[in-house]
Amino acid sequence: MASQAVLDPAVSSPADAKTDVVVETRNLSKIYRDFWGRQKVRALKALDLEVRRGEIFGLLGPNGSGKTTTIKLLLGLLFPTSGQALVFGKDASDVTKNERIGYLPEESYLYRFLNAEETLDFYGRLFDMPADLRRQRTGELIHLVKLDWAKRRQLKEYSKGMTRRIGLAQALINDPELIVLDEPTTGLDPIGCREMKDLILDLRDKGKTVLMCSHLLADVQDVCDRIAILHQGELKELGRVDSLLKIRDVTEIRASGLSDAAKEEIKAVIARHSGSLVSMDNPTSTLEELFLSIVQDAEARPGRRARVEG
Amino acid sequence: MVLENPYPPYFEWLFSAGTTPGAFWIWLLTVVLFIVASLFVAWIISSVRNGPMKAGDLIFRSLVSLVDDLAHTSPRRVFALAKLAVQESIRRRVLAGFIVFVLILLFAGWFLNPGKTDPAELYLSFVLTATSYLILFMALVLSAFSLPADIQNKTIYTIVTKPVRPTEIVLGRAVGFAAVSTALLVVMCGASYLFVVRTLDHTHELTADDLAPRSPGPGGAPRPGKQGRTSVTREHRHEVVLLDETGHGLTESAQDHKHEVTAVTRDGQTEYLVGKPLGQLKARVPLYGKLAFVDRAGRPTDKGINVGNEWGYRSYIEGGSPAAAIWTFSGLRQADFPGGINLDMTLRVFRTFKGDIEKGISGSITLRNPDNPKVSYLLKNFVAKEFSIDHHQIPLTFKDKDKKEIDVFRDLVTENGQLDIVIHCLERAQFFGMARPDLYLFKREGIPWVNFVKGYVAIWLQMLLITTAGVMWSTFLNGPVALLATLGTMVGGYFVDFLGNLANNSSLGGGPMESFYRIVTQENLTSELERNVTTLTAQWGDRLIRLPIFVAARVLPDFSSLSDVDYVSYGFNIPLDLLAIHVTMGLGYVIPVLILGFLFFKMREVAK
Repeated sequence: MASQAVLDPAVSSPADAKTDVVVETRNLSKIYRDFWGRQKVRALKALDLEVRRGEIFGLLGPNGSGKTTTIKLLLGLLFPTSGQALVFGKDASDVTKNERIGYLPEESYLYRFLNAEETLDFYGRLFDMPADLRRQRTGELIHLVKLDWAKRRQLKEYSKGMTRRIGLAQALINDPELIVLDEPTTGLDPIGCREMKDLILDLRDKGKTVLMCSHLLADVQDVCDRIAILHQGELKELGRVDSLLKIRDVTEIRASGLSDAAKEEIKAVIARHSGSLVSMDNPTSTLEELFLSIVQDAEARPGRRARVEG
Repeated sequence: MVLENPYPPYFEWLFSAGTTPGAFWIWLLTVVLFIVASLFVAWIISSVRNGPMKAGDLIFRSLVSLVDDLAHTSPRRVFALAKLAVQESIRRRVLAGFIVFVLILLFAGWFLNPGKTDPAELYLSFVLTATSYLILFMALVLSAFSLPADIQNKTIYTIVTKPVRPTEIVLGRAVGFAAVSTALLVVMCGASYLFVVRTLDHTHELTADDLAPRSPGPGGAPRPGKQGRTSVTREHRHEVVLLDETGHGLTESAQDHKHEVTAVTRDGQTEYLVGKPLGQLKARVPLYGKLAFVDRAGRPTDKGINVGNEWGYRSYIEGGSPAAAIWTFSGLRQADFPGGINLDMTLRVFRTFKGDIEKGISGSITLRNPDNPKVSYLLKNFVAKEFSIDHHQIPLTFKDKDKKEIDVFRDLVTENGQLDIVIHCLERAQFFGMARPDLYLFKREGIPWVNFVKGYVAIWLQMLLITTAGVMWSTFLNGPVALLATLGTMVGGYFVDFLGNLANNSSLGGGPMESFYRIVTQENLTSELERNVTTLTAQWGDRLIRLPIFVAARVLPDFSSLSDVDYVSYGFNIPLDLLAIHVTMGLGYVIPVLILGFLFFKMREVAK
């Protein structure tokens, strides 16, 4: 494990952790070579990490940090130069492990000449699903991703968001235990992002394990239980999101209905206890929450126009 | 039609023919040697990167994994991937190929002459060849580009990350493209047959004025019936002899067909209707005999004379001498030849002096009892027709030179159905050349449309080979390179014999480097080259590449032998033994090529 990585203090004993481990990498390295075998890029260096059952695990890092390489090694799309990648205790090259995995690639690489129903039916066949089950799952998933109205259109006519949604549907066709999402919110509008995040949380609540990689930090912060931060192929940080982000020496209090006198009194209490007041102000919502509330309101009351503040 | 390499019976070909090992054992040996050699090369390459022990372990694991994949291949997944391949083909406008084919058929009539001596041969050869080229080209393009396109577009990611084995991916593509090509081939077969039948269909006019009472017989005795000629259609006409007073009969043969003539009375007038051509499309089932020779001194010999031809396929007999060629036929039964025994010959003539060049060389046909050679009767004399099939018929009874009636089956055919047919050349200092297939009897006629379909089965086998080769190459090469490799496989397959000669150093002019030197220095093929550094280097270079050429000649499929165009176009039935041999040859290549494809795909990284 990288020397600067911080172990999550809340983890249970190693014996308990082992039985719940869904994904495990042991000293996993990947070097890209050219045709003549000469080293070109060292994409991953001795990565050790575990993803446990029922958690949402985020792989973060800038472009070229090795996130997608890690995903590809776990899925068997690439072969490791050294080390091991294990999924459900099986080597990543074992195709039988894929029975329990769903994968949403970065760009939803799907066959554009198929329509949504044909796409899900095709992937369902690849799981050896019988016809009636395929039909049932196809209907459920198309409804889940809200594409009922476009299920007979060829994917080449879909927008980016629609393609992403059908991509997610194919990742869930086999009701997998582990869902691997590569940049799941990239290219989605704020509503789409919110729906994707809600879906991810919903999957976790159903007992699924989600492994996602992203460079959109806000999205990762909203959904992930644990994260690993990669940089230039090395693991730099690993732990629970809330624990890693907690600023231990600052206390945040939220209250409503305080008068000015009450605020002054609070300031005095802090000073009496030798504390220093960092800030006391009205908190701000997020732009995402503002956007969603405006859209919701617009759908409820069409025709209402904004008042421009002069 | 020349049968240079007569085929043996199927099981004899497959397992053994005397001292020659059968095709199965040769195939098994080739496959085993190829596997061992490939594993050795793979171990060497892997040892450089991983060390010998790990390399051995990796190869062992790969083989075990391959066997596991083969054992657990799911038909449902293969079907799903095959269906995807079919949908992809349709999206890639594969049906345009069929439209091109229809256009070719539509405009073929402008360029093909139905008045040719044997129009059936011309049209059949045309449709079969056009279909071959078109379907093989389509199979080439479909199979070579599909997997590379999937890998480039990364659509393969969503397949490989499902529980899909490499065997299923490769097999699914091969099955899907083969299914598309098969469907197209079926439609082309139907369209081609209809085209040939419709194009060959013609009739003639025959009026009462064209007919006259038959000329008197010997001794001036009047003969019933009429005789005359039809009108000219497609550069030919038929002589008509109506023996029947009712006016029904068959025309004489012209351009290898006849017509039925029917007399109809309308308004008190007799009209003669000439029906559709009969016998243009044939599926003759030849019966071949064993060939032996007698030399000019009358002594039996295995071979005739070599008149100096490089190609020693035919032996020659000298005219005006006891020299003869004797064909011994077996298994003749009278029930198989109800109307007489049809006989075809394709003799060659070698003239030592020109003589009367307009007049052919005479020969004779004698029938002989093999058990009692003294019992022989001259059937007829004939004038040899070179470069075309000479048709004769042996009547069941005929009169010999002493006017004695001879019954062929009673007097000449032995109890176990054997008969000798003896050919002499009658003109001194001229020679007849023959090989075993140059004279044959017709046991019966097959069904022409069934034979036509059998010809398409051979094209289908070629398509299957190209499809599997294309899919195999595309598992590790990009699209254009896979296309070139598949094309190379196909072209190499057509020239397997030539490659074999190169490998054996038996081709004139030496190997490729020496030949190139001869071209550049304008030396002919047989001249002795000056010994210098360049020629020695070229010859040594040829020695080095002889081994890979030898391997290529043994490994590449012999495409030309899989073609049955000649059988169909010349009107010969494709025997079931031959069809079985072709199917077995096809499978013998398809299975190892597919396994190679599985292995290559398993060993490659799909992502970049």
